[in-house]
Order: sequence, then C-alpha cells, then structure tokens
Amino acid sequence: MKKLLSILIVSLALPFSISPVSAATEVTFWHMEGVPHRVDRIQTLIDEFNSSNPDVTVSQEVQNWGEIYAKAPASVASGTSPEILVGIPDFTPILAEMGAAQPVDDFISELDSKYGFYSKALDQYTYNGHTWAVPLWNMAISVWYRKSVLEEAGIAPPKTWTELEAAAKALTKNGMYGIGLPGNKQLYTDQTIYSFMVNSGASEIYNSDGSLRFDNPGTIKAYETYKNLYQYSAPDAASWTWGEAEACFASNGCAMILQFSVISTYDSQAEGDAGDLGVIQIPYADGMANSAGTVSYVNSAMIMTDDKAKMEASKRFISFLMEPGNYGRFINMEPGLFLPITEAGSKDDTFWNDPVAIKYKSQIETMLDNSTRGSLFGFTNGNTFTSISSISAQNLLSQTLQSAIIDDQDAASAVMEGQKIMTESIE
Amino acid sequence: MIYQNKEGWLYVLPLLFWLALSICIPLYIAIELSFFNVKIIGTEGEFVGLKNYFKIFTSSKFHKAFSNSILWVLANAITQTFFAFLIALTLNKNFKGVKIATNWIILSFIIPTVVIVVIWKLMLSSSSGIINSLLIQIQIIDKPIGFFSSSTSAFISLVLINSWRWSPFLALIILSGLKSINKEIYDASKIDGASFFSEFFYITLPQLKGILFVLGLVGTLLSFNVFDIIWLITKGGPSSATTTLPLLIYETAFTKFRLSQAAALSVVTSFILLTFSIIFIKFMGKEDE
Amino acid sequence: MNKIKKYSLLYLSLSTIFIVFFFPFFWIITSAFKSPQEIIQKQSTIIPKSFTLEHFDKILFSSDFLIYLKNSLIVSFSSMIIAVFLSILAAYGLHKLKFYGNKLVERSLLITYAFPGVILLIPMYLMLGKIGLLNSYFALILINVTFSTPFAVWMLKAFFKTIPNEIEEAASIDGASKIIILSKIILPLALPGIASVSIFCFIISWTEYMFASIMISGNDLKTLPVGLASIVGQYQIDWGFLLAGATLASLPVIILFLFVGKYFVSGLTDGAVK
Repeated sequence: MKKLLSILIVSLALPFSISPVSAATEVTFWHMEGVPHRVDRIQTLIDEFNSSNPDVTVSQEVQNWGEIYAKAPASVASGTSPEILVGIPDFTPILAEMGAAQPVDDFISELDSKYGFYSKALDQYTYNGHTWAVPLWNMAISVWYRKSVLEEAGIAPPKTWTELEAAAKALTKNGMYGIGLPGNKQLYTDQTIYSFMVNSGASEIYNSDGSLRFDNPGTIKAYETYKNLYQYSAPDAASWTWGEAEACFASNGCAMILQFSVISTYDSQAEGDAGDLGVIQIPYADGMANSAGTVSYVNSAMIMTDDKAKMEASKRFISFLMEPGNYGRFINMEPGLFLPITEAGSKDDTFWNDPVAIKYKSQIETMLDNSTRGSLFGFTNGNTFTSISSISAQNLLSQTLQSAIIDDQDAASAVMEGQKIMTESIE
Repeated sequence: MIYQNKEGWLYVLPLLFWLALSICIPLYIAIELSFFNVKIIGTEGEFVGLKNYFKIFTSSKFHKAFSNSILWVLANAITQTFFAFLIALTLNKNFKGVKIATNWIILSFIIPTVVIVVIWKLMLSSSSGIINSLLIQIQIIDKPIGFFSSSTSAFISLVLINSWRWSPFLALIILSGLKSINKEIYDASKIDGASFFSEFFYITLPQLKGILFVLGLVGTLLSFNVFDIIWLITKGGPSSATTTLPLLIYETAFTKFRLSQAAALSVVTSFILLTFSIIFIKFMGKEDE
Repeated sequence: MNKIKKYSLLYLSLSTIFIVFFFPFFWIITSAFKSPQEIIQKQSTIIPKSFTLEHFDKILFSSDFLIYLKNSLIVSFSSMIIAVFLSILAAYGLHKLKFYGNKLVERSLLITYAFPGVILLIPMYLMLGKIGLLNSYFALILINVTFSTPFAVWMLKAFFKTIPNEIEEAASIDGASKIIILSKIILPLALPGIASVSIFCFIISWTEYMFASIMISGNDLKTLPVGLASIVGQYQIDWGFLLAGATLASLPVIILFLFVGKYFVSGLTDGAVK
C-alpha cells in the first residue's frame, strides 16, 4: 500500500519537476510540420537562435492538423497558449476575434522594408484594418504529370477546361486514371475545388458586407466541370487526402493530379526522373485566361501573447527565420514544397542550393510563378470575416461537392444548398 | 455470506470519488454550458435557457445523425455478434493450435486505433491496396472497388472495420461463458438427437444469458460512442452518411465553433443512452443475477 | 459422413477467421519491409519482392518514436496500477460486502459508458487547465482510469465470485480482518483474474487517442498513437515510414502479450469457471 502510494506521488510529481528555473524569456512555438526531418531542421535553426540569443529560449511543439482547430482556442481559454502559433489563414480570424492573435502592423512594415513581402501573401492576413500574422511560406497548387505519359497519348499539356476534359478522357485507359481528383470531405478537396473556382472567375465568395456570393455562375461552372472530371478519377478518391493522391501519381496510377508538390514523393517513392516531371498552371475555364490562377496557402506565424518581453522575443525569433541564409534553410525543411513569400527570400542561395531544389529547378520555378497568381477563398480583396473559420473547418466547399459527385445532385442545386449551409454558419 | 453495511461503502468510495471527479464534474459543466450560447471555447455567452435544445429537436442534422447512430449500433451488433460467435464456437473446439489461436485472436483489439486506420485505408485503397488487387486477380471484379466512394459503401466498410476490431474481444468473453457450460447438458441433448441449431438456440444461448446481458448493454453503449475510427477514415462523410451523434457533437464544438450547442447535443445524447440503459436493465436485468 | 462434415465446417470457419483476423497483420508487417515503390504499386504483392530496413531505420533513429514509446509505457503502466487498485477495492466491496445501494452502484458503474467521450473532453480540458495539470501524465491517467475501471470492476467481480466462500469464512472465523482476508487470501486466488484485468486496463490506456491528442501539446509527452499520427505529416505520406510506425506501435503490446497473453485470455475465458 505504502509502496503504491509513493509510486503514485512520484509519477504525479514527475511532470512538474522537469522544467528547470531559468531567467531567459521562454518562447514556445507551435506548428504542424510533424515529419521528422522537418522537425530536425527547425530544431537546428532553434538551436542556432538560442545560442546566439542567450536571453531567449525558444522551443517547438508539434501539433496534429486534426486537432489544432480544437486545441488552439482551448489553449487560449485555459491560459496555456504558445507564444507563436504557425497556422493557415482560416485559423487567424477566430483567434484575432478572441483577442488572442496580436496585430503585427509595425513588425510587418519593418520586415517588409528589409525583405519585401509579396503583396498577395499579406492579403491573406490583412483585414479589419490590421495585419494579424507574419507570412512565413507559401504553397500553391499546380497540375502535375509525366511528360512521357502525355506524349505517348499524343496530348499536349491542357490549358483550358475543354482541353483538360479531353486529356483526362484520353489518358484513362489500361488501369490508369486520367486525373486523380479527390472527393473527400476534407481540406485537400476544398483546395482542389477552389482551384477550379478561381479559374472560372469565382474566387470571391463574400460580398463586402459579409454575406455570401458563393452561389454564382462561375462557381456552378466549376462544380459542373469537377463533376464531369470526377468520373476519370480513382474509385477510392472519396477518402483521399494529399498523401493518397500523391501515391496514385507516384505509382503511375494517375496521369495527372492537382497538388502543391509531388517532388518529395516522386523523388523518393517513384522513379525520380526530373526530366520527365511536368508541371503546369491549372487550366482555366474556356475564354477566361485572365482568371488563370490557383489556390495559395500562405502559412504564417501568429503572435499569441501580449506580454511585452515575450512579444519582443518572439519577434526576434521570427526575424531570425526570415533572414536570407536562414530563410532558405527554414522553408527547405521540405524541399520543393514550401515557396518563399519575400523577394529577398526568393533570391536566398540557401533556398536554391538544396540538392532537391537544384535537381528540380525548373519545376520549382514554375511553381513559384504559379503561386504569384494564387488566392484563397475567404481572403480575397480584404473581404475576410470570422465565419470563414467555421466554413473552412467544416469543409463546406467539399461537402457541397460531395452532394454533386456522390449524391449525384446537379451542380446548381448543390451550390445553392451549399450557400444555405454556409449562411447558417454565419449566424 | 458476510454482510457489512458501512464497510462496503468504504471499499467502493475511492473509485466512486475518482469517477465523480472525472465524470460528474465535467458533466455538470457541460449541462451548465448547454443553457448558454457560448461559441468559441473560453469566450463568454449569454443565458439562453432551453433555446439550444429546441434547436436540436427541430434540426434535420440531428435527426440524420440520430438515425445514423441507430443504424450504426444495429449493424455493428449484428456483425459483431456473428463474428464473435463464429470465433468463440470455433475456439471452443479442440484442435491443434487452438491455444495459440485463442491467445492471439485478440490482436486486432490491442493495437491503437490509429494503426487500425492505417491498415485498412491501405488495404482497401483502389490504387495500392491488396484487397482490390486480389479481387481483380481472381477475376471477381474487373475494376477496383471504391470502398469509401459512396454513402452506402463507406458505412458498410466502417461497420466491418469496427467489427473487425471488437469481435475478438467479445468472442473471448463469450468463450468464457461457453467454457462454463456443463458438458453434460449437451450430452443429454445429443442422446435426444438435437441438431446443431437447436442445441445452439435452446441450450447455449440461455446458458449465456448473464454474459449476453452485459455485452448487450456495454457493447451497445461502446458501439454508439465510437469516434476515432469514423473520424479518422471518413470524417463523417461522404455527405454526412457516416456522421453519427458523437461526430456531430465533435463537429459542432470544434469545426462549427458552437460550444454550447455541442454541450446540449451531448446532454441529449447521454439522456438517450441513459434511457436505453435503464430500459435494457429493467427488461433484461434479471439475467444478471 | 457426419465427421467429415464437422471437420470441413471447422476448417472453413478457421480459415475464414485466420484470413480475416490475421492476414492484415501479415500484410502490413511484410509491407513495412518493402521498397517504397513496391508498397504503392498498383499490383499489390503478398509475398514481398524487395527488402529494405530503411523505414525502420528512419522511425527508430530519425524520429521521436522512442520518446513516444516511453510516454505510452509510463502512462499505460501508471493508469493500469491505479485502475487495478481502485477496481480491486470496488469489486471486493460490491461482491463480498452487500450494502444498501449495492446493486445501484454496480449498475451505475456500467452506465458510465453511456457518456460519449466528447462530452467530457472540453470540461475536463478547462478543469485541468485551471489547476495547471494540462500537458501532464496525470491528465491522461485520469481519463484512462475512468474509461477502464467500470468494465474492470465487472470482470473482477466475476472472479471473486469463483472463490469458494468457505475459505473466506474460515479465515474470518480465525479473526482475520477484511483487509487481511483481501490481501492475503482473495488476491492470490484471484491472480489470473487480476492479471487479465491489469492487461485490459493497460490496453485501454495504450490505445487511447482522442484525449491524448487534445490534452498533450508538448512533444516530449506525446503518446504513441498521437505521435504516430503526427509523424505522417500533412502534405506528404511516406507510406513505408507509416507502415513501419504502425508495426512498431503494435510491437510493445505484442511483446507484452507474448509473456502475459495467456493470463489475459485464460483470465477472460476461465473467468466463470472455477
């Protein structure tokens, strides 16, 4: 009995006795890049910063994408939030409204004058008169294919939706799927359907008063086209996330896919032939070449503390990351996936000198170019409202899509229904 | 028998205290939350009385999730009962290797649910999965099946995966019951010329009443509250076909950011399950003696 | 003729069981040794054509897998000890000591499963946050003990039932106090039952995901299921890596089972038998 009690007490006390008392300002940094080599790279940079800044101790804590929507607000509510939170745009409005994310206008001007942010990157975090986070890197979707596969079928890389449908049809043979489009109720599907919406001029889902204009001809056309293309996708696409689509492409089961980057998987899990890997701008709706664009996801760092010392320490760490020489190494934690969002960053040698970046230079250049035409639903033209957080979190874009592709509703009704559900979230 | 009133309470109290801490207090907080309109966790809300509850009963989402839950419980009960009995009856026989089989059949239960999700997502994949590959090779189908591609197939696949996880555990418990049945009863019936089926229904099942009572009660409750597997594979889709009440609660709290509504939903769900439990116990309770 | 029918039926159900419940493990484990290309190729293979240790190498030496393993072990063992302790007391109290409300308490314990985990998630998060016990082993132990004890009590009660009353009565006539009876007589006799209840509580803790993912934010305290989910990463899935992770995440319980499995199983299956 006694022994049991002492074991109990010791095990309960253990977590408390771990953290040493230190005079340095502690900064905790939450992010969602849990892949081991990414964690390692970040740790390297953290160690460098910590040793050259002995009055600050930065530490990283990796979270899962699945839980972060629950965890971040919960951590603020219980007073245990991190000082820096890396997130995607639809996260920030909620945290800004809660007063958790701090406006960083001055800090942004400072960094901007030094490194030159791409304006589209700032767009995704600027609304209600302030900028709420510091952009760190960009990700934009392009269409990926194997040049040999298209050549063999006698098809030129498609530019318009008509050409895309023809290509997908022609490439679907011998067990290969012409285009691997996802149909899951999940972020990846939100991203792909939005990529189509951008290319039919429907990138704006809000009116300036916060009401929705999701239900419009451009959106309907996008959903219709997606529905027609979906028949050329894999049978299990309804449960796909990014990984499954990439596996399909890597195993040559899919001729084309929409993806941020397939470079890593193609290089390590497929044949890794840089000369055969093709990447192009997402095809646009016929006659709408001016709308050609893509979905872009600017990941950023939010400062979640209003304690002066911690804020200052956090800013120093973020500045450290943005410095050329560090920046390239930072975003190359996954080479070929994360794209720079500052002018200085895009010229950083440490970005281009990575072996993977050298091998796939032309592909990355195309990706970078595509990303300059990227936007994100709910973050266009300053029309950003808190309701986007729940529209995103509930994956309403893909939920609407599922009505069309799985329940076989016609695009117009599905979109109308979708707008109704979105409007409900606003109340 | 030794009867001691006060001492009994003393022994039971530590656990009751622990459960009071971890269940009753959170329950109270949840009930309190349900009368307000808190949206994001940590923010303030105003008192709205029973408004959230009215919303629930008029919400088609709730009704859909409720019927999905009922369907889910029934489908799982049937599938798991079938497999559990199949396994238990088989392992009750004497054959070479029965000990090893009995020892390891529980494998699917002792691994983390995340691993189960990984296993089945890959096995059922239409690009790299072994199931489709085999079915095509032996020419049962000529194109891969999308196991999660339609509302129906997704639901069925999930039921099968969840049953795959739970059946061995249930089987072992049933096996314990089978082993306790006096063999002489069977011998007597064999002399009378009873068939396998009549043996099963008239002798085996009645003898297992006590065990089936607990499995029926706890099994239904656990089945109803399954969350991980559904969430990690289909997230409640496609088109809310696999959104059961637990998923609806989680979604309402964390993706719709309506905490109070979610709390009200949880209260309603718990109430439904409590009612079921009480009715179940009242009608089947005698078997537990 | 009847014997042949019987044997073929037995053989049929055995094969079905074997394929359904054991083949998936065979496939996953062997696939974890395949080259990345072979894992995702269209024509899946049952017998591996390639062999590589790279996935396991990465998991063991380039990831925090061992840390997650450590955490899972600590949390699961602690939860198990506390759960078994509380369950033994409660089961003994319920079975041997009849008292007013006995049946009520017994039934209420099982009914605790009527509450969906989600309903406890937020309030508990707020509660623990207030007293600063978030992101600690205690938070997880609290949950695991709560989820495993009701069923554990039921299992233990069934065991205590199998101990002949005469032994107890004899001891009490000799003047032994309840505690002595419990610890020196009942426990040793019910050891198989206690072993199997312990393993049950261990497994419940080992496999728990939802609460572990929300309560723990620090990497150094993550348990295996959560760590495995985060290793996968968002935009890329390294399938070999994932399979190796799945294999290794199952390995500890499998090893545990090699040693104590027979107690668990015999505990469950002999429970109602003397």
